[in-house]
Amino acid sequence: MTQQQDPIRVMVVDDHPMWRDAVARDLAESGFEVVATAGDGEQAVRRAKAVAPDVLVLDLNLPAKPGVTVCKELVAHNPALRVLVLSASGEHADVLEAVKSGATGYLLKSASTGELLDAVRRTAVGDPVFTPGLAGLVLGEYRRLAAEPAPAPDTDTPGAPRLTERETEVLRLVAKGLSYKQIAERLVISHRTVQNHVQNTLGKLQLHNRVELVRYAIERGLDEE
Amino acid sequence: MRMSVELPLWRALAGYRVLTMLYAIGLCATAYDHFMRPWVAVGYYAVLVVWTLATLPRVANAASCTRGFLAADLTVALTGILLTPLADNHERIAGGGPTLPSIWTAGAVLAFAIKGGWRWAAVASTAVAAVNLVERGSPARDTVHNVILVWVASIAIGYVVEVARASERTLARALEIEAATRERERLARDIHDGVLQVLAMVQRRGAVIGGEAAELGRLAGEQEVALRTLVAGGLLPVSRVSEDAAAGAVVRAVDEPYDDEPAGPVDLRALLARHAGARTSLAEPGAPVELPRPAARELAAAVGAALDNVREHAGAEARAWILVEDEPHEIVVTVRDDGPGIPEGRLAQAEGEGRLGVAQSIRGRLRDLGGSAELISVPGQGTEVELKVPKGAARARGKAEKR
Repeated sequence: MTQQQDPIRVMVVDDHPMWRDAVARDLAESGFEVVATAGDGEQAVRRAKAVAPDVLVLDLNLPAKPGVTVCKELVAHNPALRVLVLSASGEHADVLEAVKSGATGYLLKSASTGELLDAVRRTAVGDPVFTPGLAGLVLGEYRRLAAEPAPAPDTDTPGAPRLTERETEVLRLVAKGLSYKQIAERLVISHRTVQNHVQNTLGKLQLHNRVELVRYAIERGLDEE
Repeated sequence: MRMSVELPLWRALAGYRVLTMLYAIGLCATAYDHFMRPWVAVGYYAVLVVWTLATLPRVANAASCTRGFLAADLTVALTGILLTPLADNHERIAGGGPTLPSIWTAGAVLAFAIKGGWRWAAVASTAVAAVNLVERGSPARDTVHNVILVWVASIAIGYVVEVARASERTLARALEIEAATRERERLARDIHDGVLQVLAMVQRRGAVIGGEAAELGRLAGEQEVALRTLVAGGLLPVSRVSEDAAAGAVVRAVDEPYDDEPAGPVDLRALLARHAGARTSLAEPGAPVELPRPAARELAAAVGAALDNVREHAGAEARAWILVEDEPHEIVVTVRDDGPGIPEGRLAQAEGEGRLGVAQSIRGRLRDLGGSAELISVPGQGTEVELKVPKGAARARGKAEKR
């Protein structure tokens, strides 16, 4: 999957210049095209709209505009944009919020350069990049959604998303630190299928989040009239 | 402007003054024929109407209700009472007829109460009482009755206003403290984030440069994990962390006597956080995982034993993953390592020979909690220990002890 004709266009958003430059340099040295960098949220939104990168490497703790908002706005503006969250603190609420609003990858800043490059590559082709920690959070989120009271049967609002047994199985293995390859071996399915399962768990969560937002907007709109 | 508890009182007072003014005029109008000098009454009411309406802004809040206004207001009321014998005939007064300002007087007294509390109210109502008695000429029973009513009511309202004001101050202080705490936490998050960035950076560059720098990088990496775990855990109170850490050190020696401890639920994540490190990852659901304290301790101790086991059998360099799941009826904690694993058949054999000491001690702990421990090993994928504790484990434990 590294055999691409055009280099992957990456934008790096981080408020620490030292860190931003190091990441940008590592990416450039490995054949990525770093099309822009930004040091705060406002700048990030403006520049990303102008240069339209393939992958946005995004820190969540940003001045001027929080990273979660940047992610939301840019994914809404261009759904093809892939967002890889690179966070130092990994605060649960923020990470989960970013993933629900469209980020497909999450990596801690303590990850090695090799892991980062691999994560950007995988994010670019649409593979979700999960840490065991994120898998645990996503499992927890599904469980919380399942615990919410179901909507009344006569309304046509869709209920909370559920994981299939297979998806739960795959997520649990990710959370236990197994690589996709190991998961594929253990469950006797293809590597691609493992990726699809992980992607579905994210997709359902993001869809649910959009539906909830729309419903919220409609309710608010009707209330105000 | 923030809505205060006194604002409604001031509004009510303004309304009371206007309504009682109209009532006093109406009362006079129905008995107009009985008046000796109606023009005195008409003159007084003209002044009263202008005064009441012109001073409406004065009773809008405590700041505009000055002492000068209060004194003037009370003077208007008292003058009205004293003018009554001049305007009305003496039979009506002796028969307990109304004074010129009638119940409008109470408005002036209430303003004192709302502005200054029960002491001011007592002073104003005493003045009204004295002037009322002078107007009546003798301490007749109904006048004394009315005077005492005004007295008690105004003092009570004054007292209530004082209490309300005090509690409002307390509330404001609490809100202030809360806002300050939130701001501090936000600042702490920013600072932590900065420190984490630098530590991660040192780790990263150290690995690239190699040699002594690599060692520095490794140290930075360890601190990075420790701080991140603390921050991500939602800024736990320090006392609780150290208390648990201390207990963790002796938890093996002390197995039974938990009875004297409070059995309130604790967040299992807080107990497990200290196990997370450069080589051990902790995945958890992102919300508190609550268990009764003894059960949480036992489970955490079992996880600690499992991790020790990993170090012993898979080597110090082995990586480990802890997964905490909060299922509807049970808590599941899995500890996995990336060691060579145990070949099939060897497990049962080793167990039969009684060589799985640690595994058995883990199993024993979990059985006491009414749960289970399972050892799973897939060749090439390390070893997993799956610990399950049913919710309500304390009760199960009690039953187990009775048996």
